[in-house]
Amino acid sequence: MSSLLTLIGKDLRLLGRDRAALVFILLAPLIVICVAGLSLANLYGADPTGQTAYDLPLFDEDGSRLSQEIRERLAQEPAVRLRDVGSRAEAQELVRDKQAGSALIIPRGTAAALTAGAGAKIILFNDPVKYLERINLRTRILELRDAISTEQGAAVRQGAAAERAKAEEKIAAFKAVVVNQRAKLEAAWSEARRIRAAVLEAARRDAVQARGEATRVIKNEWQQHSARVQKDVQSQVEQLRQEFRAYVEALATARQGFEAWLEDLKTRAGSHASDIPPPPSFPELPVSLKQIVDGSRAPVELRLPEVELALPTPRMPDLPALPDLPEIELPEIVLPPLPPAPSSLEIEVVSLAGVPTYINTFDQNVPGFAVTFLMLGMLLGISLGLLDEREWGTMQRVRALPVGPSQFLLAKLLTRFLVGVGQMIVLLTIGWLAFGVSLGPQPVALLLPIVGIAYAGTAFGLIVAAVATSREAVFSVGSVVMVTMSAVGGCWWPIDLEPRWMRSVALAFPTTWAMDAFNDLMIRRRTIDAAYLPTAVMLAYGSLYLLIGLMIFRRRAEG
Amino acid sequence: MNAAEKPLSLSPAPLIDVEELEVRYGTRAALRGLSFTVKAGEVVGLLGPNGAGKTTTFSVLATLRKPDAGRVTVAGLSVADAPKQVRRMLGVVPQSLALYPTFSARENVVLFARLAGLRGRAVHVAATAALQLVGLEDRADDRVGSFSGGMQHRLNLACGILHAPRVVLLDEPTVGVDPQSRERIGEAVRDQARRGAAVLYSTHDLDEAERVCDRVVLIDEGHVVSDGTPEELIRRSGGVLRLEVVTRAPLPVGWFEGVDGVVPIHAAAVAPLLSRGPTVHVGLTDLSSASRVLERATACGGGVLEFHVHQPSLQDVFMALTGRALRD
Repeated sequence: MSSLLTLIGKDLRLLGRDRAALVFILLAPLIVICVAGLSLANLYGADPTGQTAYDLPLFDEDGSRLSQEIRERLAQEPAVRLRDVGSRAEAQELVRDKQAGSALIIPRGTAAALTAGAGAKIILFNDPVKYLERINLRTRILELRDAISTEQGAAVRQGAAAERAKAEEKIAAFKAVVVNQRAKLEAAWSEARRIRAAVLEAARRDAVQARGEATRVIKNEWQQHSARVQKDVQSQVEQLRQEFRAYVEALATARQGFEAWLEDLKTRAGSHASDIPPPPSFPELPVSLKQIVDGSRAPVELRLPEVELALPTPRMPDLPALPDLPEIELPEIVLPPLPPAPSSLEIEVVSLAGVPTYINTFDQNVPGFAVTFLMLGMLLGISLGLLDEREWGTMQRVRALPVGPSQFLLAKLLTRFLVGVGQMIVLLTIGWLAFGVSLGPQPVALLLPIVGIAYAGTAFGLIVAAVATSREAVFSVGSVVMVTMSAVGGCWWPIDLEPRWMRSVALAFPTTWAMDAFNDLMIRRRTIDAAYLPTAVMLAYGSLYLLIGLMIFRRRAEG
Repeated sequence: MNAAEKPLSLSPAPLIDVEELEVRYGTRAALRGLSFTVKAGEVVGLLGPNGAGKTTTFSVLATLRKPDAGRVTVAGLSVADAPKQVRRMLGVVPQSLALYPTFSARENVVLFARLAGLRGRAVHVAATAALQLVGLEDRADDRVGSFSGGMQHRLNLACGILHAPRVVLLDEPTVGVDPQSRERIGEAVRDQARRGAAVLYSTHDLDEAERVCDRVVLIDEGHVVSDGTPEELIRRSGGVLRLEVVTRAPLPVGWFEGVDGVVPIHAAAVAPLLSRGPTVHVGLTDLSSASRVLERATACGGGVLEFHVHQPSLQDVFMALTGRALRD
């Protein structure tokens, strides 16, 4: 282990002394990243510094609010450097002179035509050679047009909605007034009913009162008359009763005298008394006569009939009945639907990663060229390092030392692997600091593809070193392999630009998987899960390369 | 005392033992039954022309290549079966420079000390000692890329021996080295032997081999053609004096025929020391024959510009044995 560390230290020191290698590892990638990033910026959108913005002469013939808005929006577009010109001819001249790839003209009457609902167009003068610039600018202008149309449509819809809201408010106010008036009417109606009822009630009450008074007077007269009649009758009855009483009393006295007589008779008849027939009995005075006699009963019960007055019902005033309050039915006021606002078919570009649609050019170029130079460093570095050792004779010497050839080779590979990992980390960090490259939500996750591609690159470097036995061979084999792997693997441009068959072929390269992982983590802002499969594939490729490289090395050593 | 200063115990058994080593590159046999040994404290020169199999032999000993046949041990350990253990005992100084040019001399030696297994303070002690041994302590912190070739070769040697290995393999360590550095390297190699290491030394410089090596193994076409001390080899090959003659004009074929004391040798195999004119080599049984040869050359219209008389050397031995020069 100690010898291995010594060898790694040796290789690191060798690398440290090799200024060209250091330049190659760090400075060259940065230069290429800058050049490629700025050169290809418009392929991805725009570079964040605005260095690569297209010069776009603009002549506004319309002078409308719309054209002013177009101008202001273009001025804010980082991919465009707007240049106001004084005439259509001047704009055309700038394109002809190749000072601009395109020039934009907003013809007179554009806004008016649009307002009137008629068609209108803006003109983009174009240099056909600058195809990409035309495509980009046209896309931007179309996007701008869509945005303006959308906003105008939204404004129209908003205005109509406001007017509709106002109308609805007025209708609601009118309805409120009607309801209020109806309430007042109902109150008045109700008051009228109440007054009518009160009038009728007062009349009825007066009639009843008058009838009662009449009844009372009549009854009073009747009672007084009855009393007088009754008094006369009783007076006469009393007189009769007194007379009857006197008779009764006289009768009773006569009876007593008879009885005494009889007794005396009987006494006097002695034994014949029993032969004396009983006298006829005196009728007993009926009780009622007794009561009349003793005064406990009036002999005559004078019963005057109660006077039942059947006064005619007084006539009530004939007030006309109040008609029912008529129902006021307000017609339902239905506002017609808003007419559709003028709008265009809008394409909503939704980034599933939740990131801006236009990526930073360096998001692609920093990992892409970092991987390229990593591979270049690996493919050339290991081979040239071994060739150096061979030329210096040190390889032969070290092989005869106790450390042996295996450790020597292992140290060489480990050193390159570590340098590769460090190179990637440094380049990505610089990319993050200098170019605003995103490191994704989990920067630590980037270590997975870094380790994967460094491992695969190191192992492939071993194959190149085993196959190429001269510097010329190293450069030819290494450069061809590196260029193929990097270019096809999507390090230099998005892999989607390649034909389908080439993308299928690219799956055979670890660079493809590395870029897939870096794009997932950095651009699509995915989590570490996205890096598992690509890293596993890279490790598998690396192991395969390692096996092949060692086999070739062994065969060469034995040969 | 650091590892470099610690003397090794001398073992009677050879630390390097190569028996019937065979290595093939495809159908071509690079080594065919090569056998030799190197004992502790001994510097053995491995000499042979290009393609003789020297570097292949070093590769096998350095465990960089497995033998196809034969047995190779280092300190009793088979290089084929226990390469890691063998490497711990080896100090390899490869033929070409094996240094990191962007590192300083100290950084190089410290690195190789660590890779050789030294740790902690021993690393810096050994590094300092190695730099002193090759006379680079004053330039220790300078970048190796700014060193002269000789300094780089000295540092190359230092990096191979700084951990005091039991076996040192030097594959032509003085190629392109200035005489001063060559001298230092030679001294450093002898130091390794003195501390008890077994040193296998490959060189094209025959003088250096004779000066530095205790014993020489001459190989050709993958096998040993002779083995012994330089003196033994020269004596064994019956070597003669060699006269080198530089003339104004080419001499005709058979120009020295009939001159007493002249022995034909493979002149074409000997590289001329100077290139001022056509050069011929003839063997002499004794020094007095030289004047006769020079007279004949003059008489044949050659116009002698200069001449040199050489004592018999390993070059001559190899030529006598193989009919080819070591530098072929």
